[in-house]
Amino acid sequence: MATSRFFHGGLGDSESSSSEEDYSEEEEELEEDAQAEDESDESESTEDDDGDDSDDDDDGELEDGNAGESQNKRNLFTRDVVDEDDSDEDGLRRIVKNKKDKRFEEIETSIRLIENAEKINDWFVISQEFDKLNKLVTKAGHGDVVPKPYIKAVADLEDFMNETLVKEKTAPKKMNATNAKALNSIKQRLKRNNRQYEQEISQYRADKENYLLEPEIEDIPAPQKPTFERAEPESVDDDSGAYSIVTRGGKAVQLTKESIFKHLKVIIEARGKKNTDRTEQIRTMEKLLELAQTPYQKIRVLVALISTRYDLSFGVLSYMATDQWKAAEIELNNLLQVLEENPSWVIVENGDEWDDDEKAPPTPAPGEIFKISGSIISFVDRLDDELTKSLQNIDPHTTEYVERLGDEAALYKIIVRSQMYFERLSGNKKASSIGDNLNRTVMRRVEHLYYKPLAVIETIEEASYTLLTSESSSDVLRSDLRKENPATIVQSLCSHLYKNDSTILRTRAMLCHIYHLALRENFYKSRDMFLMSHLQENIHNADITTQILYNRTLVQVGLCAFRNSLISEAQSCLQEILGSGRVKEHLAQGVGPQSRYSTITPEQERLEKQRQLPFHMHINLELLEAAYLTCSMLLEIPAMAAAGSSPDMRKKVISKTFRRMLEFHERNVFPGPPENTRDHVFQAANALAAGDWKKSCDLIQAIKIWDLLPNSESLKQMLSVRIQEEGLRTYIFTYAPFYDVLSLTRLSEMFDLEERKVAALVSKMIAHDEIAAALDQINKTLVFRKGVEVSRLQTLALALSDKASGLIELNERVFEQKAQSGAVGGLQENTTRPGGGGRGGKPRGEFSGNSGGGNRGRGGGRGRGGRNVQFAGERSTTKS
Amino acid sequence: MSSEEPRVPAVADATNQAEGLSAIEIARKYDLTPKIMPYLDRHLIFHLLAFLRDQQFYPAEELLQNTYDLLEPTNMTDYLMDLWKQIHGKEDIDIPREFLLKREKVMQEWSALQDETAKITGLLENPDVISNFRSDKMQNLQFLKDNHGVTDDMIDALLKYGQAAYSRGSYDQASDILYSFRILSTDSDKVNQATWGKLACEILTVNWEGAMEEIQKIKEAIDTKPFLNPTAQLQQRTWLIHWALFPLFNHEAARDTILELFFSPNFINTIQTSCPWVLRYLVAAVITSKKNSGSSRAAAIQQKQFKDLVRVVRQELYEYSDPITEFIAALHLDFDFEEAQKKLGEAEEVIRSDFFLQVFCATEQSEGVEPKNAFVESARHLISEAYCRIHQRIDITDLSQRLNLSQDDGEKWIVNLIKDTRVDAKIDYKNGTVIMNHPPQSVYQQVIEKTKGGFFRTQVLHAAVTR
Repeated sequence: MATSRFFHGGLGDSESSSSEEDYSEEEEELEEDAQAEDESDESESTEDDDGDDSDDDDDGELEDGNAGESQNKRNLFTRDVVDEDDSDEDGLRRIVKNKKDKRFEEIETSIRLIENAEKINDWFVISQEFDKLNKLVTKAGHGDVVPKPYIKAVADLEDFMNETLVKEKTAPKKMNATNAKALNSIKQRLKRNNRQYEQEISQYRADKENYLLEPEIEDIPAPQKPTFERAEPESVDDDSGAYSIVTRGGKAVQLTKESIFKHLKVIIEARGKKNTDRTEQIRTMEKLLELAQTPYQKIRVLVALISTRYDLSFGVLSYMATDQWKAAEIELNNLLQVLEENPSWVIVENGDEWDDDEKAPPTPAPGEIFKISGSIISFVDRLDDELTKSLQNIDPHTTEYVERLGDEAALYKIIVRSQMYFERLSGNKKASSIGDNLNRTVMRRVEHLYYKPLAVIETIEEASYTLLTSESSSDVLRSDLRKENPATIVQSLCSHLYKNDSTILRTRAMLCHIYHLALRENFYKSRDMFLMSHLQENIHNADITTQILYNRTLVQVGLCAFRNSLISEAQSCLQEILGSGRVKEHLAQGVGPQSRYSTITPEQERLEKQRQLPFHMHINLELLEAAYLTCSMLLEIPAMAAAGSSPDMRKKVISKTFRRMLEFHERNVFPGPPENTRDHVFQAANALAAGDWKKSCDLIQAIKIWDLLPNSESLKQMLSVRIQEEGLRTYIFTYAPFYDVLSLTRLSEMFDLEERKVAALVSKMIAHDEIAAALDQINKTLVFRKGVEVSRLQTLALALSDKASGLIELNERVFEQKAQSGAVGGLQENTTRPGGGGRGGKPRGEFSGNSGGGNRGRGGGRGRGGRNVQFAGERSTTKS
Repeated sequence: MSSEEPRVPAVADATNQAEGLSAIEIARKYDLTPKIMPYLDRHLIFHLLAFLRDQQFYPAEELLQNTYDLLEPTNMTDYLMDLWKQIHGKEDIDIPREFLLKREKVMQEWSALQDETAKITGLLENPDVISNFRSDKMQNLQFLKDNHGVTDDMIDALLKYGQAAYSRGSYDQASDILYSFRILSTDSDKVNQATWGKLACEILTVNWEGAMEEIQKIKEAIDTKPFLNPTAQLQQRTWLIHWALFPLFNHEAARDTILELFFSPNFINTIQTSCPWVLRYLVAAVITSKKNSGSSRAAAIQQKQFKDLVRVVRQELYEYSDPITEFIAALHLDFDFEEAQKKLGEAEEVIRSDFFLQVFCATEQSEGVEPKNAFVESARHLISEAYCRIHQRIDITDLSQRLNLSQDDGEKWIVNLIKDTRVDAKIDYKNGTVIMNHPPQSVYQQVIEKTKGGFFRTQVLHAAVTR
């Protein structure tokens, strides 16, 4: 008890710590040691409290978690000091006594000053003296008792203050500013201060006359007398735990079923204010929760409790402590359970506020619905976000990350559960509209599922299902859950969103769905969905997270094409992201290297950090690069060979990035053995260009990252077949000028391909006019025609005529579109869209840019940052 | 439209002979009837089912039952009664009362409608009235209202009358009635309905010229009418495509027009999006129409269509493929002649069992000799053309083998080919080879080709813009 008072004596302002020097001068020499300890302790606690008093935003918050603990420590420590004092010599004790008397005198002076000031209503002086008084009491009070005059003074002061406050409200003239400010500050401090002395004050109030007269000796045990039911009996014998228990114990007295709402109200009112001790509040509420019996009480307490827990952590970069998160998760689960068990209570955002807490809580008639204001969806959102935040911050290579990731199952369960809750609400007409809450929960669910393989989805679904059944009573909804097949769950969730939502959620759902399809090897389906969604036209207007999702989806579709050996499709999908050189940034998988020309403000950097995806959602960048470069190699090397030395053809670049890197690679004078994926690919490319397909094959096969893909063996097989084919083409392109006749049998030996396959490949090249040659069926040879080389001028003439006819076609098309849309108001250059109204429901073939003639433009343009790039790989068709 | 699905028997009939099995299996596997049915009218489907009954792929009883179910909602009561008797196997079985009741009811409704519309039909037959008609619909309507007391209700009754006539199976009559309705009515929705109805009548009465007219009208209506939801528009186009298949294969003159329609961007998109199986018919139509190329302009159009076709087939290969589309893919995408030949064999089977495509073999089957298949002929043509383009020297034996012909036939075939087309080739009789001569196209020629139409086209464009 005593120690706690000692500690709290230090509540005063720092201002007094300087004045304290004055009166402690004499004793200094006597108890230097003790004083030194005291001082330091004092200032420490003052600082702490200061922090609380003034702007306590961040530090105070962080400190709070440890506050209780450190208080205890401090108490232990100071008690030791006191003990030391007591065990000192007699002489010392005498002087201490004197000091005590002196202190009492000073206290009395202060009190008098306060009383005087009260008379003239000078709150500034009162405030000053009150601080001083507190200091003095602390100093004097290293005994067991608080001086009675002090109690009297503070009690009176409180009464007077209340009176003044009442008067102030009605007074025609306001106090001056300093006075009002002082009054306010004293109001707050006094309340807090007096809380410690509640018993004494109540004693005093009970018997104002006699209180002071009572002998002090009797008083000493008084505080320890159990005048009320203590919550914890150990407070008597264990001094060290005393502080926390006094306040808590003191409260516990009042924590009754009846007063739950009163306390809640206090807590809710304190929410968001400075210097509210949230840990303390949480503890109180946990107690309240134990007491709560009716569903209404439980719901109210839980709602307040969960939001207070969320209040514990804020700021952009900090994340919720794991234990708090888990507590919040359990409480949210409880809340949902209470709601499930009591269908007549619902929590909605626009619920009625039940003001009259004193009244008995309402009991709804069966079938009726009583609304409580609150928001389940925001709880779920926050819980989800906090988990993501913590995953963003934890090092992904630690076990902690894995453990934290395990919490996702619990979170998923809650999402499913709240989805069922919202489904129930939406099925009930009496409950007011739930807005897009259901859609938002469904979206959360999708976002937790879409990037996971089927087996994982099955497990997580299974887990949430079993958890739910074991926990709560059977419900109609429960059986619904079962029928969701893991293979179709994303589909069914997404189609719910397609039907019921038209906002950004729908876009996101689409992207997630496409991603999921691509992950499960449905390339054509995902591509068609992608193109039909027409997202590429307006994705650059979307918010950044959606753009990131778009990029992820695009890349995933590309990888899917790669796995299905659709090389050119894969290349064109991956080109956009991989070609940009800012892959990390575009996929939110780490901050890319800083660009030299643009500096990023700390603000931007912070935002970027916030957007980062947790590690487990990452798409392997090395794999992406390997796939992209390999695809580029398979397309680019034969194209380069075909172009030969003609400058016009050289300009037709499939992948700029690949060419640049290839050039860089070729500039190396001494190429060492390949070390990383990139080295492998480029050495393979060089080998392929030189006609050495076997070496190229070996190099590509040696890339280790392929093992990350499912059935990597068949993929490697596919790649080597492709390399053989492209090697053959490259060979023919490169060496055509030097041969008259080539034997197909020889070619098939050289490239280890079936003769039929060779014939087909060569036929294709002939048919597409890629080489000037013909087959001789009888000798099984390829005969090259001579005299087809054209001069430079002729090439240019051809190119010019091509361009002219292209231009005419373009003009005609533009005019047609104009005429169709009925707005023939002069021919403008760059009319981008055709009359969209004249098209069917799944308009696949719209042009979104004026691409050249003949291109069906199945892809449409897609822009991020204003660039427009064709998406789907119809390149080869346009050539034909 | 009907959503009737034929109940395709799951288990193949055990009595099927071993060698016949494969043909029937192919026929069943590639039977498009179930896919096409949702897009056709009951009365049109009836003919498809009748064809299937002839082909005997499926048990006859089931098809009979299907036909019965199909026609039940229609008013062809007499025919229904016949069907019912057939299903139950006895001629003299008692007809259930419902039939008689229904027949009575239908007859009553029919006569009621007849009475209702008697006046207006009478008027339309009156030459005095007709002579007063102008080109303006409103005026005509006003004229009838003023002078003969015709009301809007009477005109609407005409539409109902037409529907009833159609439902009874009297298509000629229905066609006439709908025609008069269209003259008078100003309600565009109802006119549309009437147009669809008339198209069905024309198809069913094998009046292809009339059908073509209606197809054009519907196409314009679909293109110009503002649709609130694109899905409805897509659906209408899909219907039109399916309905147009009837004239496409039965009316030689209509083929070019319909192909042009199908290859217009809107319709090719529709085919790709909602009914890729129509590609089979598209391929068949394009391949068979190759032969009768007249002017060079027509040839150019055909060439372009063929190019488009190859592209579309390629794009849709993952969504739809049957031996006929695969044939094109093998020939023009992979240049795998052996595969193409194999596919052609399968395709023959498919064509024989397809309602629309059977016309290619039906015409000559009566001669009794080996049934010549117009499609197969054209396809051979295609193969040899592609073959010649790529090769310089070809063994005649080999080529005839590829074309499924005997050596002599093959030689004859090649001679014809050289004669008919502009292939520059000679036969070396001694060695049994054909020698192709591929003169490299001169650069000058290329430039001229490319820039040929440029000036004219620009002029046209210029005129159009300044207008």
